[in-house]
Amino acid sequence: MPLPEQDLYSFIDVTLSHLNKIAANEIVLRDPTIEFQSLVFSSHTGLVHLKGAAEGFAYLTASQQFLQHLSHFYRSRLGEDGGREIMTDIAESLAINWHKRFGPVLSFSEPHIFSTVPDDPMEIPSAVFVLPLDLHNEHAFFVLGISHSSAA
Amino acid sequence: MTGTEIFKHTAAYERDSRRIRLHAPEWKLLLAFDGQRTLAEVALSAEVSFAEAFSLTEKFLGQGWIAEQPITLEQYLKRTGAADLASIGAAVPPAVVLHAPKNAAALEAPQAAPAPSPRGPMRLSAVVDFIVSQADNALLGRLSAYRVFLRVPHELLQAEEIVSVNLVNDSSLIRTEALQKAIAEAVQEIVKRPLPDSVYAGA
Repeated sequence: MPLPEQDLYSFIDVTLSHLNKIAANEIVLRDPTIEFQSLVFSSHTGLVHLKGAAEGFAYLTASQQFLQHLSHFYRSRLGEDGGREIMTDIAESLAINWHKRFGPVLSFSEPHIFSTVPDDPMEIPSAVFVLPLDLHNEHAFFVLGISHSSAA
Repeated sequence: MTGTEIFKHTAAYERDSRRIRLHAPEWKLLLAFDGQRTLAEVALSAEVSFAEAFSLTEKFLGQGWIAEQPITLEQYLKRTGAADLASIGAAVPPAVVLHAPKNAAALEAPQAAPAPSPRGPMRLSAVVDFIVSQADNALLGRLSAYRVFLRVPHELLQAEEIVSVNLVNDSSLIRTEALQKAIAEAVQEIVKRPLPDSVYAGA
């Protein structure tokens, strides 16, 4: 069964709830875009592939500075691999929370963590939804890409 | 700016470069522009995030140190015709243009210009605003707009050079009848209501 926008909204709701829990509700949303030809990747990305009621992916990508600010809320200093560690932690939590929200209708891959650009080629849907997020003027992006048939 | 632009240094840069004062990461990006690679590829090589590369590139453009380098049709086709992603591998830039034309050969054949709409241009911002107005809240409405544009054939968007829709105040105008019709049909399917005449600039 295809996903209505309420379910698409759940991806964002879960993501924002988690980030705001870490960042004491200081995440600011900027104007979203629909991209037809490009994806945005920042310093660190946590990507989860979706299968089942929707085929595609959801990912969070954030600058080192954004993660640096998040690390302040963890009350820890960002080490050499700190950005990657924080992104791993966030992506794993998101995958668990999405799974709790959607149950068996959707299956989620293990989070794939990478820096700068994906290690492997990605199959891109005809359009992706990009929601820019700010934390103390540093940037991150939540990106949702699902196949046409998943949102029919 | 989409990340696919190619920039080169200007004469002003060559003249003034010894007097320019920048932070090291900014120099890294500025020096990486070579008139060959896209902004996205340059950002990747300079290890600058795409968002940061955007704002720095605007700064460099504003200072007149770089200028956009037009490319030939051959260069364009070479770039857009790279269907084998595996061959790109790790060189895939931060903003990745991966939609190869469905039929590259078709680009070489002369084609009739798409028919302009008799109703006049359609305002993309008005279409999005209409979709959003039908939803319970703005974010739900914007996700509804995403569902609408998932249904619009990619070739029609590409033909009108629509690479992105800003879901707040997009200034694009849709001029061809085919794309207007596809958008109107997708809105009808997703929102279950017809687009009002007010989305047309001439209305």
